[in-house]
Amino acid sequence: MKLTKDNSLPILDELIANSGAMTAVLVTKEGYNMVSAGDVSYLNTTALAALVAGMFSATRAVATMVGEKQFSILLQQGKTRNIHISLINDSIMMVIVFENHQRIGKVRMEAQKAGDAMIAILAAPEPGEEKRPDLAAPEFKEYALALVDMIFSAKKA
Amino acid sequence: MPYINYSDRELAFKIVYFGPGMGGKTTNLIRVFGSLKENARSEMVTLDTAGERTLFFDFLPLELGKVGGFSLRFNLFTVPGQIQYEASRKLILDGADGVVFVADSQPHMLEKNVESFQGMLGNLREHGKDLKTFPLVLQYNKRDVSGALEVGCLEREVALERQIPVFEAVATQGTGVMETIREVARIIVRQFSV
Repeated sequence: MKLTKDNSLPILDELIANSGAMTAVLVTKEGYNMVSAGDVSYLNTTALAALVAGMFSATRAVATMVGEKQFSILLQQGKTRNIHISLINDSIMMVIVFENHQRIGKVRMEAQKAGDAMIAILAAPEPGEEKRPDLAAPEFKEYALALVDMIFSAKKA
Repeated sequence: MPYINYSDRELAFKIVYFGPGMGGKTTNLIRVFGSLKENARSEMVTLDTAGERTLFFDFLPLELGKVGGFSLRFNLFTVPGQIQYEASRKLILDGADGVVFVADSQPHMLEKNVESFQGMLGNLREHGKDLKTFPLVLQYNKRDVSGALEVGCLEREVALERQIPVFEAVATQGTGVMETIREVARIIVRQFSV
């Protein structure tokens, strides 16, 4: 099954409640923010997703250079805030922001638990095909093209 | 492949600005940013800039509006142009739905343009893209310099086997910038399939 906002948000909410972390965000390797939990009022999650994905790709390249396939956990320690990033699978990362560094053990344990729960979802068989809108339909593309023309109008930038 | 989030009803495409160092990739992004209304753009993120050079990438997320109940987004990235940042460029190209190649029209830049263009084609090939159809737009920037390179010389030098849209630009003045992004966005949308 795919990870969606509906099936991953309860897991992130539980992680926040149990670990005392501020924020948890799922990010794709292409740099998109899939879902966020906790306090995000202080955070530009769109930019965070792009940056974390770049950082993780770079770290993977470094891992290869030293003979590892990848480093599965990254920890960034600051004065008041810290970031724990872990790989859920090849294409999804979980970013946890927390304040009290002494809670690192708890954060790590809850991250592991949440990661396991998400892996279980990913391993579950896909339920019957749900009806999804056809985004590649000609009328959808027509609207999208009209929007592109309107937003990027040829006036001098 | 674009990013589709059915539960949040979001469709996002990635456009990468590629080209030799100091060719005007970041300037293109700044001009796009400046010309859009506030509701269509988010914050522009520029990383580790040494002087006027991009060291990792610039990032500009744009939200165009809603189509069929889905938010349509384009996320723009630039790569660092300098030769030594090959690894970063390859990483940033991963997952790109379209590329704008910003060529520098200064007469002495032909070799660097060719080298960068060939590097881009190699990177795209390594990411499994079909070079015959991948959305690619070429922008000859800095058309205001004296003795500017002839339009068409780069395609000839790299023996490009397909026709791609070409635009002339002076990004510092905003000329040609919106035409370029509009064309690559149009091609991406037209080619998009689920």
